[in-house]
Amino acid sequence: MHIPDGFLNAETWVTMDIVAGLGIVYAIRKTKTSLGERQIPLMGVMAAFIFAAQMLNFPIAGGTSGHFIGGVMAAVLLGPWAATLVMSTIFIVQCLLFQDGGLTALGANIFNMGIIGTVFGYYIYRGVMISFGGKKGLLWGVGIASWLAVVLAATFCSIELAFSGTVPLRAALPAMAGVHALIGVGEAIISVGVIRLILKARPDLLQRYG
Amino acid sequence: MKHAFLDKYSDLGSIIHRVDPRVKVIFFFVLILVIVSTPPQELLKFSGYFLMLLILLLLSRIPLLYVFARSLVIIPFVLLTAIFIPFFKGGEVAGSYNFLTLNLTISYKGILIFQNILIKSWLSVLSLTILTSTTKFSSLLKALETLKVPRVIILIASFFYRYIFLLIDQIMKIKNARDSRSFKKNPVYQFKIIGYMIGELFIRTYERAERIYLAMVSRGFSGTIHTLESFKINRFDLYFLGSLITIIFFIRLWR
Repeated sequence: MHIPDGFLNAETWVTMDIVAGLGIVYAIRKTKTSLGERQIPLMGVMAAFIFAAQMLNFPIAGGTSGHFIGGVMAAVLLGPWAATLVMSTIFIVQCLLFQDGGLTALGANIFNMGIIGTVFGYYIYRGVMISFGGKKGLLWGVGIASWLAVVLAATFCSIELAFSGTVPLRAALPAMAGVHALIGVGEAIISVGVIRLILKARPDLLQRYG
Repeated sequence: MKHAFLDKYSDLGSIIHRVDPRVKVIFFFVLILVIVSTPPQELLKFSGYFLMLLILLLLSRIPLLYVFARSLVIIPFVLLTAIFIPFFKGGEVAGSYNFLTLNLTISYKGILIFQNILIKSWLSVLSLTILTSTTKFSSLLKALETLKVPRVIILIASFFYRYIFLLIDQIMKIKNARDSRSFKKNPVYQFKIIGYMIGELFIRTYERAERIYLAMVSRGFSGTIHTLESFKINRFDLYFLGSLITIIFFIRLWR
């Protein structure tokens, strides 16, 4: 759910733009120290990969369809900070080229669907993986983090809209979180499928981050 | 490959296409800020912005139908928000109706909120559509770079643009292969298959990225990308920016 322009009031969108901006600046500093120039083509092609993956629609109840976000998957594959840059770039391109999500709401969209999945989701994944251990722990970690990232994205989206006076929180929050609790299951199954296949075919690609 | 949809019409040669990309980026970003900050009841001002966008659109010679079709992208989100409008309590009631067991009322406040988001999001989408349909994506990125968007983001976006067509082609081929083999409608099964498809694409993409990097290094890539294109602001660009910004501030501040 990309928030268009005009849905958020100035306090909300300015705050979210600052939050997302700081997140991106921090991610740039982190990736500069940990990754070399080699990562730039990789991150660029990965952005295209995630965008292409998002084009696979899957049906949800009632004739509507949803698509994969991929924030947690990106963080598992690329590490949290490189994934933050990749996801942010995708939202910037979607905003400019496809008008999917507004310019002023860009910070909110990057935070909701990007940073929550790539940073928060990543640490949930790590936590679950370490406490369960083994391959099973890794897959459960990916699944739980992916589901949580979708539900939290919807939750933050409705809180931001309610804060702006666009929707009433009492009605919107349970509805949005409820619907996305279902969509999140789809996201989780897909993410687990991706990681399972990579574990089988190219396990070396997953080793760098655990 | 049939996906030339990213910056369609950006290679037309109209007067708007020829304006310096930086000037266009600044103008449309300011315009969106002004639109978003205009109080919702000022319908006359919104008509002013619309008229201005329409004139720019006609000058740019982009097909009107294309732009209006593109602007429908906001509809799902507008509808989603509209669902919640009747749940706003308080304020003067404009009408009420019964839905199942709920007695829903629509207040004037609710209508104003709806009008606000509908107009603002639509005008903003029109602005961005005109910007990206009159500017090549590479020029847009270069303009953003000179306007201090971090270089890493610009580089990622330019690689994105270079490879997105290939990858979309690849995923569509995988999708065709799936559709011609599988007719199971069980959703859990479908999700799993989508996961494997994406995993497959990931591995291929990763290997592609390694090849790309090696090819670039062997040609002397050192972390910076140079382009032959350089921007020059001429007098027309300055007039364009100055007069249009004056007009939008005039509309915004006029009472």
